[in-house]
Amino acid sequence: MAKSAASVEFRNVTKRYGGVTAVDNVSFTIEPGTLVTLLGPSGCGKTTTLRLIAGLEMASEGRIMIGGRDVTHLSAAERDVSMVFQSYALFPHMSVLDNVAYGPLVGGEPKAKAHAMARDKLEVVGLKGFDDRLPSELSGGQQQRVAVARALVLEPQVLLFDEPLSNLDAKLRRRVREDIRDLQRQLDLTVAYVTHDQQEALAVSDRVIVMANAVIAQSGAPRELYEEPASLFVADFIGDANIVPAELGPPNGHDGTARVRIGTLEKSLKHRGVKPGAIKVAIRPESLTLSPVKPNTPALEGRIAKAAYLGTHIEYTVTTALGDLFVVDRAVDRPLDPGAGTFITLADHGVTVVPG
Amino acid sequence: MTRAVRLWLAVGWAGALVLPWYAIDGSFWDFAWLAKYPGDATAPLLLQVLAHGRWWLLPVPLALLAATAALALGRDDARLARLLVGTGVAGLLLMLAEGAAIDHRGWSWAWLQALAGTSGPKQSGMGYGALVLSLAFVMLACQGLAARGWCRGDAFTVGAIALVVALVGVFVFFPVLEILFSAVKDNDGRFAPAEFVQKFFDRSVWGLDCLHSSLRCGVAWNTLFLAVVVGAGSTLIGLAFALIATRTDFPFKGLLKVMSVLPIITPPFVIGLAMILLFGRSGLVTGLLYDWFAVPRSRWIYGLQGVAIAQLLAFSPIAFLVLIGVVQGVSPSLEEASQTLRAKGWTTFNTVTLPLIRPGLANAFLLGFVESMADFGNPLVLAGNYEVLATKIFFAVVGASHDQGRAAVLAIILLAFTLGAFYAQHAWLGRKSYTTVTGKGDAGLAVPLPRGLRRLCYAVAGPFALLTAVTYATILIASFWNTVGRDYSLTLQHYVTGFSVEWGARGLHFTGSAWDSFWTTIQIAAVSAPLTAAIGLMTAYLLTRQKFAGQRAFEFGTMLSFAIPGTVIGVSYILAFNVPPIELTGTGVILVICFVFRNMPVGVRSGIAALSQIDKSLDEASLTLGARTFATVRRVVLPLLRPAMVSALVYSFVRAMTAVSAVIFLVTAQYNMATAYIVGRVEAGEYGLAIAYSNVLIAVMLGAILLIQLAVGERRLGRRQPQAVLAVQAGG
Amino acid sequence: MRKMVLLAAIGLVALAAPANAQGSKELVVYCSVLNEWCTLMVQEFEKKTGVKVTMTQKGSGETVTQLRAEAANPRADIFYGGVGDQHMEAAEAGLTVEYRSPMLAELHPWARRQAEQSGHRSVGIYAGALGFVWNSELLAKKKLDEPKCWADLLKPAYKDEIQMSNPSSSGTAYVTLATIIQIMGEEPAFAYLKKLHANINQYTRSGPAPVRNAARGETTIGINFLHDGVAEAAAGFPLKVAGPCEGTGYEIGSMSIVKGGKNPENARAWYDWALTAEIQNKAKTVKSFQVPSNMKASAPEQMPKLDQIKLIDYDFARYGSGVERKRIITRWEKEVGSLPK
Repeated sequence: MAKSAASVEFRNVTKRYGGVTAVDNVSFTIEPGTLVTLLGPSGCGKTTTLRLIAGLEMASEGRIMIGGRDVTHLSAAERDVSMVFQSYALFPHMSVLDNVAYGPLVGGEPKAKAHAMARDKLEVVGLKGFDDRLPSELSGGQQQRVAVARALVLEPQVLLFDEPLSNLDAKLRRRVREDIRDLQRQLDLTVAYVTHDQQEALAVSDRVIVMANAVIAQSGAPRELYEEPASLFVADFIGDANIVPAELGPPNGHDGTARVRIGTLEKSLKHRGVKPGAIKVAIRPESLTLSPVKPNTPALEGRIAKAAYLGTHIEYTVTTALGDLFVVDRAVDRPLDPGAGTFITLADHGVTVVPG
Repeated sequence: MTRAVRLWLAVGWAGALVLPWYAIDGSFWDFAWLAKYPGDATAPLLLQVLAHGRWWLLPVPLALLAATAALALGRDDARLARLLVGTGVAGLLLMLAEGAAIDHRGWSWAWLQALAGTSGPKQSGMGYGALVLSLAFVMLACQGLAARGWCRGDAFTVGAIALVVALVGVFVFFPVLEILFSAVKDNDGRFAPAEFVQKFFDRSVWGLDCLHSSLRCGVAWNTLFLAVVVGAGSTLIGLAFALIATRTDFPFKGLLKVMSVLPIITPPFVIGLAMILLFGRSGLVTGLLYDWFAVPRSRWIYGLQGVAIAQLLAFSPIAFLVLIGVVQGVSPSLEEASQTLRAKGWTTFNTVTLPLIRPGLANAFLLGFVESMADFGNPLVLAGNYEVLATKIFFAVVGASHDQGRAAVLAIILLAFTLGAFYAQHAWLGRKSYTTVTGKGDAGLAVPLPRGLRRLCYAVAGPFALLTAVTYATILIASFWNTVGRDYSLTLQHYVTGFSVEWGARGLHFTGSAWDSFWTTIQIAAVSAPLTAAIGLMTAYLLTRQKFAGQRAFEFGTMLSFAIPGTVIGVSYILAFNVPPIELTGTGVILVICFVFRNMPVGVRSGIAALSQIDKSLDEASLTLGARTFATVRRVVLPLLRPAMVSALVYSFVRAMTAVSAVIFLVTAQYNMATAYIVGRVEAGEYGLAIAYSNVLIAVMLGAILLIQLAVGERRLGRRQPQAVLAVQAGG
Repeated sequence: MRKMVLLAAIGLVALAAPANAQGSKELVVYCSVLNEWCTLMVQEFEKKTGVKVTMTQKGSGETVTQLRAEAANPRADIFYGGVGDQHMEAAEAGLTVEYRSPMLAELHPWARRQAEQSGHRSVGIYAGALGFVWNSELLAKKKLDEPKCWADLLKPAYKDEIQMSNPSSSGTAYVTLATIIQIMGEEPAFAYLKKLHANINQYTRSGPAPVRNAARGETTIGINFLHDGVAEAAAGFPLKVAGPCEGTGYEIGSMSIVKGGKNPENARAWYDWALTAEIQNKAKTVKSFQVPSNMKASAPEQMPKLDQIKLIDYDFARYGSGVERKRIITRWEKEVGSLPK
């Protein structure tokens, strides 16, 4: 790559449509050469944020910098940014080659060179020999790859993906997201990636920015988000979590932990600066272990309400004094039937005190 | 940005320093004026100020100077953008003020005369210098606005919006306001609101006597009723034809298309004339019915029925042109989706196809409705004692009573109806998504029509096709009859009179009496059609793809000139453009401008209908690939808009060749139009020559349509043809 | 597409030349007689004087509208032809100028009177009497009598067989109203018109339309200027014409010089020339059968002689005035035009 990857920086950016605020005073930085995911439920402002980077929307307030340059008032065409659209947005009246060669061509490259660049990128995405097809003659996955090739052909400083996998089937989804990640690493691209699928986000990202109601709920590495969610919302949105009431004791000296009583169970957890008293904890479903007989350690009594067999694991809903708990059990060889009584114990990981 | 600013500054200075500021007497392009350059009449702006004592022009070059000086600030200085906006707007306002304040007779306003105590200085209409400079001012202001982040920072978009707004302002709002003001004035130009109220609420306008007595209803109700009947009828017929052409295996589709297009390439009163020749009291059909079945001869054709039939013949093809693009655009996979949901053919059509073509239906209805209200030729010939607003307005202006105020009042009523239709359409369509051409390749096959619906379509289209065929056969043959209505022996005399050509000493001589108006008409129509299509589609693009303040008002403004009857437009153009600052009467330009802005709504409507079916992310993809808006429009939007482009081009060409009422005041001996000539022939009772001339026009327009279709080509969407699908299946 | 727009733009600037570049050898005429007659006049005048004539042919109503609209910056020099009322109105509105042609002495008294009543802002160039025009074949087929008098038109046998033009749009119809009022007096005239209403099948918008329709069998009888009927008869239609026994009104086709025209000298030259017997005699060669205003010119033989028709003493001053005109037309619209059919 001739050009080096660039950073993207938002400084207190706000976007309003009439009375509706779609993005509210948001600041973040995407480091060069990293893949950052914008994650959140629909309507949270993640797509607007992406479009603000692209220049398809103009910020109402604040500054946007790309590679250290202020691009706040530059139009999309003037920013060195490419985008892969959810619908792929392939030009239906142009062949695959013409679609990919479009960028260099309108940028003033001679036709022969533009076509050469396009063929080059088509090869990168594995679509050699499809030059003369029309987009309608390709499968969904192929169309998606054409869209990626078209976005790559200008070797942009920043590449944007708007839910690129949502129109693909589940198997293809995993392969394509791996392809995207490989491509990003191989070409050292700065990528901003919008999705509402938290698994996809965890799988591909260097960092994830979780958005809710037009603001950033939390940003960090995938592991950070999963293990230390900053809020109930994040805890629930990233992976599944049982949010249950608990009682936090005073801090245990200076190691940052405290005793937490969850119903009949007790555990030493990081208190994360939360004041002692009634709190909420998030328990991952795989951190709950079921056993039909009462174990030696303190356990929570419950009754199986529902069970679903999924091959690699079984999903249970268990009715307890703390409410209905969602449990994932790897022990597929010992299924429990609905109606059976059970005892629940806590694993050492996957239980977190949640601030707020 | 600075490059574009420098360019527009250079253009501005060229307008101020080189080009003649005032309009040249005679032609600019024979450059005879160079001999007197730079005299009092031909000097550019700066010389007018310095050498010819036109001191009131001085602020104008100063504004340009300020804009030039601002450039010293450098591109990154935020003040530059603000200064460009300020100087551009100021320059325009200054030009507007001096142009409006001083005309060829001195001060235009009485209070200025009173203030100065003299009749004041004089100046003639603005010329190329003023035109170029005002354009530069507009564009400089737009560069500034774009730099301040307007329209996502795209100078092309801002410029396009400003240009269309300026053009519509000058050539639609200005003349229309001019004549509407006369609604509240009496015949001597005094302000008379009481007279307005009395004219407005007159019983002849709003009376409902026909409901409970044998008296006639008001002309407003008549017009409304006719328009609703014609709007609904033409939409239905247009839809039937569109469905047959796209969703059946009807073998003669080409023929169907040509036949349904025929009526709009016919001067409207010719259809009326043919109706009389067929169904009048002495008509051919009437005669046959009398001879064979003893059906008594009657004058039933004169009245609501006759006008409605003639208008349906004339306007259904417009609905067809609008609807075929929309029906073609409906994504087959949506219909397939419905079928897989166990929906029967009828249900699919009702629940998926029909709702998806709703924008098309609404547009078709609106066009038919508005066309019917503004139509003048058919009611003139056929309405009998059934009064409609368009003819009533015409005769209020030119008739025995010369009541311009009344014409203006009636025009306001007509305008109100159009406004109502416009908002009803908006309310009906709501905000639902009608996007069916997306960036995702679509491989479905159009679903054939359910049998019942197919029969219904044929039942609607068949009689209409038959009537069209008979009408045109009559028009064709009538041009060879010696004396229409009397001597039915065949002759070529009418064609010879109009279009004879002689081989003289100096080559070919066009000696026929119709040649002059014929060439002028072709020239003006050929010039106005591409301009109409361009400005119409550009406006449609701005309306659907850009967001800016006052969008609704802007959209309505573009519909305005279409809604107002041609007669009123013609008179208003004379009132507005016969005197400085914009002096255009007597030129061919005023005819072109009149056609462009009268027919622009067709381009706008069909553009909007087509654009609402094209996924917005296609434009955005192009933008993020570094194509500016202009390149995006050219390479992505326009190719996908081909059907809309064809209908806009065809329709504006045809309208320019067949319009009557608007041009009747604007034609001159040098620029006489075919229709004005034909009306003259009809008035003189020379129906043969009139019909012969119409036939020549029809042939020319038919040729032009084919040419346009060839030049613009078909839209390539990559939907598989049925054969291709078979091949794929066979191949595994 | 881009190329087309570009070409169109070039075409547009080419059209920017105004029609009537002003010069000493030019003249702009707004002509309101039949096109052939207009063309003939233009050709003859150009041949005789070498002046380049730019002519636009329009109905007289439209021409007056145009003159009004252009009043601030007039484009025309001469307004030639059309009903005298319209010229009266133009004179009243100050759109035309006073001119006393040396040719006045050669004119029929009715033509001179038009000049006097308009304050010499216009002059008569031809006259045409009002009367009945009927399709003789249709009349025979329906076994109807030929109409001879205004009173005949009320016969029940003529129900839905008669056509006249609409006073609110046509000058011809107004002459008809004014004529009937002058013959019968206003109140009896309106009583007559209300009865006549039952026999009228349509009030056409344009003046000559009843003649065209009678010629083509769409109506049996029309109330019209006789010369229009004669012209259609000459074209081979089975038409007959007659002047009413009670007497009838007439129009005086007129001519005026436009105020503020750019070529006043040429306008006066045209004015004088158009009143000569020589040129007036040529009108009938182009199927215009009006009676010329120059006494030395010969009336067309196809036309019933004016002295054989009982002409009333038409009061142009009163019935040509805008106020009276508006009053009568409004009354007709209220009392007759809105009656049930």
